[in-house]
Amino acid sequence: MTSLSDIPVIQTPPEAPARGGNPLANVFDDFIRYCRSRSLFMLHYCTGCGAIELPPAMTSRFDMERIGIQPMVTPRQADILLVTGYVSVKTLKRIILTYEQMASPKYVIGICSCTVNGGMYWQSYATAKKLNDYLPVDLYIAGCMPRPEAVIEGLKALRDNIEAGTSDNWKDYYQRYDHYLGNQQRLFGADWQTPTEVIAEAKHYGLFGPDTLGEHTRRLEDHRKPLEPLRMTLNAGRLEHME
Amino acid sequence: MTTDIGQWLGHLIGQVEGVQHRGRHARRQRLDVAPDALPALLELLQGKGSFVHLSAISCVDWPEDGQFELVYHVWSYELKTLVSAHIRIPREPGRYLSVYDIYKPAAFFERDIHEMYGVFFEGSPSMEKFILTEWDGPPPMRKEFDSENWVNDHFDWQDYHPDWLNDIESRGGGIAIRPDEQRFSRKAKHES
Repeated sequence: MTSLSDIPVIQTPPEAPARGGNPLANVFDDFIRYCRSRSLFMLHYCTGCGAIELPPAMTSRFDMERIGIQPMVTPRQADILLVTGYVSVKTLKRIILTYEQMASPKYVIGICSCTVNGGMYWQSYATAKKLNDYLPVDLYIAGCMPRPEAVIEGLKALRDNIEAGTSDNWKDYYQRYDHYLGNQQRLFGADWQTPTEVIAEAKHYGLFGPDTLGEHTRRLEDHRKPLEPLRMTLNAGRLEHME
Repeated sequence: MTTDIGQWLGHLIGQVEGVQHRGRHARRQRLDVAPDALPALLELLQGKGSFVHLSAISCVDWPEDGQFELVYHVWSYELKTLVSAHIRIPREPGRYLSVYDIYKPAAFFERDIHEMYGVFFEGSPSMEKFILTEWDGPPPMRKEFDSENWVNDHFDWQDYHPDWLNDIESRGGGIAIRPDEQRFSRKAKHES
């Protein structure tokens, strides 16, 4: 068994504090991080029972919005991906697709014991055991299920991490894409691919590293089917019918 | 009407050979049927006995006997009685007749059993994947399928890290419960 401390997570330290000894050198970066941590939009992917604890956490009793966190409906506009509860293998594919669609910087929170180690589904053939094998998880909120207080506490911890600049595991997904893709292929088969150009994105963000490419990404090229453009017509179905 | 259901049912199934009747309760009747007799029995129950609702088909794996047990649960809205018809079919080759022509909902149950146990139903409209659309392993509900081995082959493990919890408690986190509301486990810790 591996413990969480053994799992290498690349933590790039925040920028060197003093550029030329000027104490105000990073004031702009700090300000951006402060703003970012105070306005988080959360996409909750309600996979399991933990989703039950989110409505009270969001609504007036516990009121997540007072710390600047709101639910968001689309992955493109969301900052946090909240995975609440057990992740079946089928769902995991959808979670990865959702995660790759989100714009950086993005954060993943695993809620409930099931995302940590499978929880009560530890023996189930259909449930993924470690979410951080497949996605870079920033924070786990353990519990079965965690109460809204725990959820809020976890989100506060994430907020503090973002403000301190230590919560950047999304970079890890680009820097070690081969590792994550390898785990995904182990579960989904060698022909697994997503429509997202993760490697191109890694180059775009300047996060292309020595571990981005590897044996698993080479396998990706063997299986990659070219994406076909969709026919761009208005009401395509109806027009065909009229013809 | 429900008081003499056992007698009435016994009379009805007397018309089919190879049926044993065990009525445990007025509204739960068990029939042990020879596999050949089941379609005739179901047709009789539906046509003459008002058992128009097929609640479920369930499957039980008996690896020691080399048999699958199929249980057809049919319900009558008029008699308010559930009849379970049990048949045993050999595990190999694991083929049986579909009852889709008698009960339409059987298609779903048969498809599900085919997926989970690998029993093939002849004449069923679709034997394609139903829920496990992305599963290519063996039928997972068979007793010989070792779920734990499969999990060990395909997944890694991790423990809860106890330091997390210590960290959280040292920062004043965790759940604060008033002493008079604490349960015995925490209370004992608190008092000692």
